[in-house]
Amino acid sequence: MFFSQLGIFFENLYMLALDPVNILILFGAVIMGIIFGAMPGLTATLGVALLTTLTYGMSQHTAMIALLAIYVGGVYGGSYASILINIPGTAAAAATALDGYPLACKGEGGKALGLTTTASAIGTFIGMLFVVGLSPLISRLALQFTSFEFFLLALFGIIISGTLTSHDLVYKGWIAGLIGLWMATIGRDGLQFYPRFTFGISEFESGIDIVPVLIGAFGIPQIIQVLKDKVNVGEAKKFQRILPEFRTIIKHFPDILRSSLIGVGIGAVPGIGEDIAGWVSYGAAKNSSNHPERFGKGEIKAVVSTETANNSCIGGAMIPLLNLGVPGSPPAAMLLGALLLHGIQPGPMLMIDHPHFILQVTAILLLASVAMWISGMLLAKQVVKVLRIPPQLFMPIIAVLCVVGSYALGTRIFNLYLMIPVGIISYFLVEMGYPIAPLVIGVILGPMADQNLRRALMVSQGSFAPMFSRPVSLILVLVIVLTIFSQTKPYKKMMASVGASLEARRVKRREQRNK
Amino acid sequence: MSKKIFIAALVLVLAGFSAFGQAQGEYPERDITNVLVWGAGGGTDTCNRVVMAEMSEILGVNINVVNKPGGTAGSVGMQDAYSREHDGYTICGLSESCVTASVQGAWDKRMNVWDYFIIGGSPDVVSVTPDTPWQTMEELIEYAKANPGEVKAGASGAGSIHHLNLLALENGTGAKFNFIPYGGSAPSQNAAMTGEINVVVTSVAEQAQLIRGGKLRALGVLVPDDFPFGDGVLPTAFDVYPSLSDYLPLSQAIGFAVPQDVPQNVKDVLRDAFAEAMETDSVKEFGKKNFYILSGKVGEEAGKVFDSLESNFAWTLWELGAAKVNPADLGIPKP
Repeated sequence: MFFSQLGIFFENLYMLALDPVNILILFGAVIMGIIFGAMPGLTATLGVALLTTLTYGMSQHTAMIALLAIYVGGVYGGSYASILINIPGTAAAAATALDGYPLACKGEGGKALGLTTTASAIGTFIGMLFVVGLSPLISRLALQFTSFEFFLLALFGIIISGTLTSHDLVYKGWIAGLIGLWMATIGRDGLQFYPRFTFGISEFESGIDIVPVLIGAFGIPQIIQVLKDKVNVGEAKKFQRILPEFRTIIKHFPDILRSSLIGVGIGAVPGIGEDIAGWVSYGAAKNSSNHPERFGKGEIKAVVSTETANNSCIGGAMIPLLNLGVPGSPPAAMLLGALLLHGIQPGPMLMIDHPHFILQVTAILLLASVAMWISGMLLAKQVVKVLRIPPQLFMPIIAVLCVVGSYALGTRIFNLYLMIPVGIISYFLVEMGYPIAPLVIGVILGPMADQNLRRALMVSQGSFAPMFSRPVSLILVLVIVLTIFSQTKPYKKMMASVGASLEARRVKRREQRNK
Repeated sequence: MSKKIFIAALVLVLAGFSAFGQAQGEYPERDITNVLVWGAGGGTDTCNRVVMAEMSEILGVNINVVNKPGGTAGSVGMQDAYSREHDGYTICGLSESCVTASVQGAWDKRMNVWDYFIIGGSPDVVSVTPDTPWQTMEELIEYAKANPGEVKAGASGAGSIHHLNLLALENGTGAKFNFIPYGGSAPSQNAAMTGEINVVVTSVAEQAQLIRGGKLRALGVLVPDDFPFGDGVLPTAFDVYPSLSDYLPLSQAIGFAVPQDVPQNVKDVLRDAFAEAMETDSVKEFGKKNFYILSGKVGEEAGKVFDSLESNFAWTLWELGAAKVNPADLGIPKP
């Protein structure tokens, strides 16, 4: 059974890789994806959406190659802008900026890009293994997620990003997250369609778009700061080795493995995607590190972890899409539309209707990760050169791209009026030491938290009891409580005393041994 | 330089000729644009593309489908299509959900400014999760009547076509459900998979995989006739509860439209081509494969369908407090 599956897998791979047209489309779509990811405002979701229309005339195989390749490229490309200019190209790469940009400032931008490229490729590959290997198991696990779990997951995403990004006081991160949550409530609510905080302004009716907030909040403070301080990013003129050493990859392999598992797991849960995967993976890397104090100052481990996780998330997101017909992430939702366009209805019957389709998808994911690695390695060397452009010239270009990016999605002029005030407010928040990422994560996850909490209470008819009686939900509650509690003084004092007693015991034991 | 001027002049002359030709020739002389108000890959998009492919063969010109999603209830696409020349060279691909644009303040006209060509749609089906005791529609309804508000029924958000169907089911049978709204059909079906809700109302097309996979048990369709499915049929709920016919059917209506004031001869050409396209094997095959009821209604008949959809949607939204504009102000009659 397993070997016949393997045989079909390689047959698919061989068939797809042999056609020059497919290879051309594969690389074209990957590079297009990288560009979409790297440009602030253009996202992997938009890339998949735009390409869907163009694939109408293609055969089903070729269309799937194009769409999966642009998806993989788009998620990876976000890291370029994060590392090089500290403006995440996509929400998925927001966590990458925390350590990627300090690395670039140290002149190690090339090294960082090389590593993230390799990590992304490995992440995609591991995600792919899960699609084929553990699909049924993971989709069963994903079915443990009801409204309460989704609410808690969203809340956890906001709290963890607040916790991780605060430089001085953790409360500032949480406050930024709450501001984001509030912004997400503007507009008509998704359940009863009731207008909230719209003040009769019709533009507010459809709510706050994520992209202008993302661009405004990250882009504008960065542009002002760079121009004000005349920061010259990195000594990029220095020779840089892009191709990472094999040793470095081996050294970070535990991080890559852990992050891949996190990415696949989060991707498999319907409705949340690459952005949360990046944050959770960053948190896990920091917690498992012997030197958590290095995080935020240019730690390679952090960059590798976030980029592996957001790419392995792709495989994860395909699992519920293919097995349940429920997209695991926003770009996967666009992919669902594309599949339907090509006459494939994903769901429990997929294995019966199109028995080889899942193997075909995994074969394409493998090809896409290889193509991404090759294009990434070739591009990174050139892309790093943008750092040589003096910021006085470079930043205004970025500013124009920000404006275009906010307008491009949805072509609403209102988004520009939104982006600029958000950007200016964000600038002052940054000046006051408030991290900006939790605000954006709050806007992204706000509707999920809001709608699911209210829906959960509708289902339980007002009772909070299921939150503590459902196993997954209880675990999430405990994790959230622990995350908050671990930042308080009593906990830190307790940990310090525990650490001291452990140390004392160790010293004692050593003394005994010496005797 | 003179060469350039010559070419420019030639182009102008040719353009003049072609414009003259158009005035003389019979519709259609050039490519037609279908401004589609929803995104690529959705039901309305796929359905329109299949029919457009046939119609373009019959009419002998290309029909380009351009997706213009955005605004509220497809208002951006409708606005765009309506603002172009009313000459039949622009048609508007739309669906039943567009009828809410006006009460939501995104479209300042009633929906009867359009002349419709309805391709069809997938009927709504009431299904339960396999672990529930209800084997027939009657058992479910009687239970919900005896225990009002206890059965958790999910559908996409307030004011959606599936929510309207659920409301009509309640009104027509006297049952009372605990309505749990979701962001769309897929999330509501997924919630049924997790056991969060027991009853789900979405279209047959959306549920087909789950019904065939045994993950949902279909109890009845909300249209007057049994619906062929696989080797058997999905029974209609109307047989057990005839009073449903006072409120239903409120089915999905996917199709396209031209402004009412398009010349009659143009409409006739489109209607003939549409009727012929609906009879082709590829359209019939598409309908069968996707669990659609093909309609083919045009003109007054199609207008009636949209009138009823408009008044139902508009007044339901208004009663839910979810409408911005009073449907009475727009002249939309009560259902």
